[in-house]
Amino acid sequence: MEIEIQLTDAPIAERISPPTQLGVQGTWLEFRGVVRGDECGQPIAALEYEAYPEMAEREIRRLLEAISVRHQCLAAKVIHRVGIVPVGEAAIYLGIAAKHRAEAIALLGEFMDRLKQDVPVWKRRAISLEVGRVTPCAPSDGGQRTARLASKSLAEAIAEISSRCQPLPAVRVLLEEAFDRVLRQQVCATEDLPSCDRSTRDGYAVLADDASENFKIVDTIHAADWKPRQLKFGEAVRVATGAALPFDGVRVVMQENVERAGDHIRITKHEAGSNLRRRGEDVKAGQPLVQSGVRLDAGKLALLATAGCIQPLVNPRLRVAHFTTGDEIISPDQAPKPGQIRDSNSILIRGLLQNFSCDLEQKHLPENFEAAWAQLDLNRIAAADLVLVSGGASVGDKDFTRPLLERLGFEIVFAQVNVRPGRPLIFGVNGSRVAFGLPGNPLSHFVCFHFAVATALARLAGGTAPVFLRGKLAAKLDDIPCPRETLWPARREFSGGEIKLQPLAWASSGDVTCFASANALIRVPAGSAPLAVGAEVDFLAAGVMLGI
Amino acid sequence: MRVLFFAQLKDVTGCAATEIVSPSPLNREQLWAALLEKFPGLNMHRANVRLARNWEYAGGETQFTNGDEVALIPPVSGG
Repeated sequence: MEIEIQLTDAPIAERISPPTQLGVQGTWLEFRGVVRGDECGQPIAALEYEAYPEMAEREIRRLLEAISVRHQCLAAKVIHRVGIVPVGEAAIYLGIAAKHRAEAIALLGEFMDRLKQDVPVWKRRAISLEVGRVTPCAPSDGGQRTARLASKSLAEAIAEISSRCQPLPAVRVLLEEAFDRVLRQQVCATEDLPSCDRSTRDGYAVLADDASENFKIVDTIHAADWKPRQLKFGEAVRVATGAALPFDGVRVVMQENVERAGDHIRITKHEAGSNLRRRGEDVKAGQPLVQSGVRLDAGKLALLATAGCIQPLVNPRLRVAHFTTGDEIISPDQAPKPGQIRDSNSILIRGLLQNFSCDLEQKHLPENFEAAWAQLDLNRIAAADLVLVSGGASVGDKDFTRPLLERLGFEIVFAQVNVRPGRPLIFGVNGSRVAFGLPGNPLSHFVCFHFAVATALARLAGGTAPVFLRGKLAAKLDDIPCPRETLWPARREFSGGEIKLQPLAWASSGDVTCFASANALIRVPAGSAPLAVGAEVDFLAAGVMLGI
Repeated sequence: MRVLFFAQLKDVTGCAATEIVSPSPLNREQLWAALLEKFPGLNMHRANVRLARNWEYAGGETQFTNGDEVALIPPVSGG
């Protein structure tokens, strides 16, 4: 691919010609990113851009070359402004020559996403409409730290996470890569489905109002054929199941109901139905097929394929960095010495993330803070959308995770929830990135994942947070009244037309046996008296069916 | 080696570049230690800053040597 790159402090020309040596090659796609009249909600007059020119040029070239391996284009021209760019002027220009528009559009979308992540160009400041007033353009640098934070109720914690996590910029991907991602556009039918009347039987198409007994076979239509023609009274066309019928106003006589002799048929039994799937019977052109915000499963992807939506706009794969801590934690393949326990949280987190199209990196950190810090790859962490730290079981770990997240630049939003199990849950944000410190006990992990981490993942992906559903207790839940709200592991089953919840035996947050069967978490209000069989309760679906 | 600062990091250090001389190659930890000694204010930005060596993002194992052009890249915001 031919690549031309310019960083310039001059306005980008109104007209830019495609590279002439390419001649007419089908597509010349142009994109201009124009400075908007507001920044962070404030009206502005201009933006000032700064670049590291040598590296910016190399990164732009590297990105274009990497992306064009997948979306082959012929040439690209990139112009990025530096210095002051007034509102209404283009800050970036991208021209792409390609044989077909699909490659050019795909390259454009992906390149712009990557440019905003990797190319060393910065919006340095916004120049206000008020003469001389400048504001820095939201540098993402840690923010305020608060020593003491109020403990959050379950509802408050979920609401806080929902509001602090914003959907990541959407990307276009091939259908094959879209499984389990959240659709970020509404997809509508571009044509009627079926696109013409089709036969539902093997038989003979005749005019709908032709009451003849005998017909002459004038043609044959197979499933893949398209043979428009006029039929006359007394004429029939042999059709296969699924065949596109030659025109409107026909019916199909099942072959079982005729006698055939040579190229003639005689109807032996009259039918009431017409044996057709009518044009647009399933879907009318323009009708919404899949709404934005919906998780794409196999069925929805099949619908997108039918509609020709081959590169849906979806959430990017989420990059997750997960750290386990605690010197007592050993790898599952080792035999624990007294005081040691095998690490179950790594595989638990990996498994729970399966539903979220994530790229996960996991690492175990030593308990010593500075030793742990030295082992961190900060570039990698800076690139992660979500950072999870699993504390060890010891008390000292509570002191470990929060300073670690703070040094990583996260503003701690809360560091405790009034929820059992999972009280010392930490939640932090750093720009669009979020972090959780998960209490080390496996059951606390399980619970915190489902109400907190799943909420953040769903929101980052552009979906909605998991919701509480209603069900009935299949057995009494006579827990001692607890001053904290409890999420009680349970087994949910659907029987007799309702959801029944069987509370599972559970004594401490270190208990692990209930994992094997838990697929729901019952919400037991703070201070609740024992609940009787048949009591209506709220629950969160767990393990499977996370409810995005 | 010459170390370049961009965007808000210029405000922190008060300069666009500095010179660090080391008798032996530095790994990222050692480089950061040298930088923080000169500019302690960089510490709070450290988690968000990516390092580049000779116009390419540096990997975890990168060694920085005299003669390199090093850059501290805060989160970018082009386009």
